[in-house]
Amino acid sequence: MKQVMKLLAVAMLSILAAGCATGTKFSQMSSSIPPVRADEGRVYFMRSSSLFGAAIQPDIRLNGEVVGESKPGGFFYVDRPQGTYQASTSTETEKTLSFTLDAGETKYVRSSPSFGLVVGRIVLDLETPDKALQELPSLSYIGTKEIARR
Amino acid sequence: MARNWRHYPMACALVGSLTACAASVRQAPVDFHPRAASMAAPRVAVLETVTIKLPTAYIRTVDKGSRWALAGQVPQGDVYRPVGTVFTIEGRQVHEAYLVVSQQAIVGFYLPGDRTYSALPTPVSLSLGDMQ
Repeated sequence: MKQVMKLLAVAMLSILAAGCATGTKFSQMSSSIPPVRADEGRVYFMRSSSLFGAAIQPDIRLNGEVVGESKPGGFFYVDRPQGTYQASTSTETEKTLSFTLDAGETKYVRSSPSFGLVVGRIVLDLETPDKALQELPSLSYIGTKEIARR
Repeated sequence: MARNWRHYPMACALVGSLTACAASVRQAPVDFHPRAASMAAPRVAVLETVTIKLPTAYIRTVDKGSRWALAGQVPQGDVYRPVGTVFTIEGRQVHEAYLVVSQQAIVGFYLPGDRTYSALPTPVSLSLGDMQ
C-alpha cells in the first residue's frame, strides 16, 4: 500500500512539474527584450514557480483580449498604449484587476492560486517593481505574441 | 488526527465560499483633475504607518517612509499616487488605488483604472512630511 502511495505521489509531482513553465529564463533574455516605445507602457505578467495550485493554468485577458496564460514559473509581457486596463482570468470566479498604464511606464501583475468554492482559482494583483525584479530572473518566458510582433 | 482531516474539505469550501462572496468595492464616478504634466509634482513621505480596514473587510497598510506624489484633485480632496511602489484596494475585485487626502486624513481612494472614487466610511488620520 505504501509503495502505491509513493508511486501516486511521484506521478502527481511529475504531472505538476510538467505543467510548469520551461522557456528561456528572464535572466538569459533580459538584454534582448526591446525597450518599451515612448507612446506605450509595458505590463509584465508573472507567476511564482510554486507547485501549489500548479494544475490551474487559465488564460489571462487584458481588456477582454487573451494575452497569455498563467503558468507556474512563467512570465510574459505586453506593450499597450497608455490608458485604463482590466486584467482577468477565467477560473471559477472572475476576479479582475483594474489599473492605469502611462506612456513609458512598466507595471507588474502577479497571478497566484487561491482556494475557490469547488475548484481553485487564480487571483491577479499588482506587484511592486522591487519584488517583481527580484523574482523575474528565475522565471521562464512563456509569451509568444510580443516577440512575434517585433 | 484522521478525524481532523475529514473536516478539511469542508473548511476549504467554507474559506472558498467566503472569499468568493467578498463584497464589491463601492465606487462612484468622479471628476479627476490631474496636475499639469509641466509642473513638478510635490512629493511627500508618510511619517507614521497607517492601517486601513476597508469596508470589504480587507486590510491595507500605508507604510511609514512610503513616498507619494500629488497627482491631482477630486472634489473630496488631494490625490496622491505611490512613488516606486503600487497600492491596491480589494473586494470582489482588485483595484489600483491612489490616496485621497483631506485635512490630514485619508478620506477615500481614487481608482485610476476605473476613474472612480471609493469613500472610506471613516477618515483615517495621516501624517505627511516633506521627502528627505
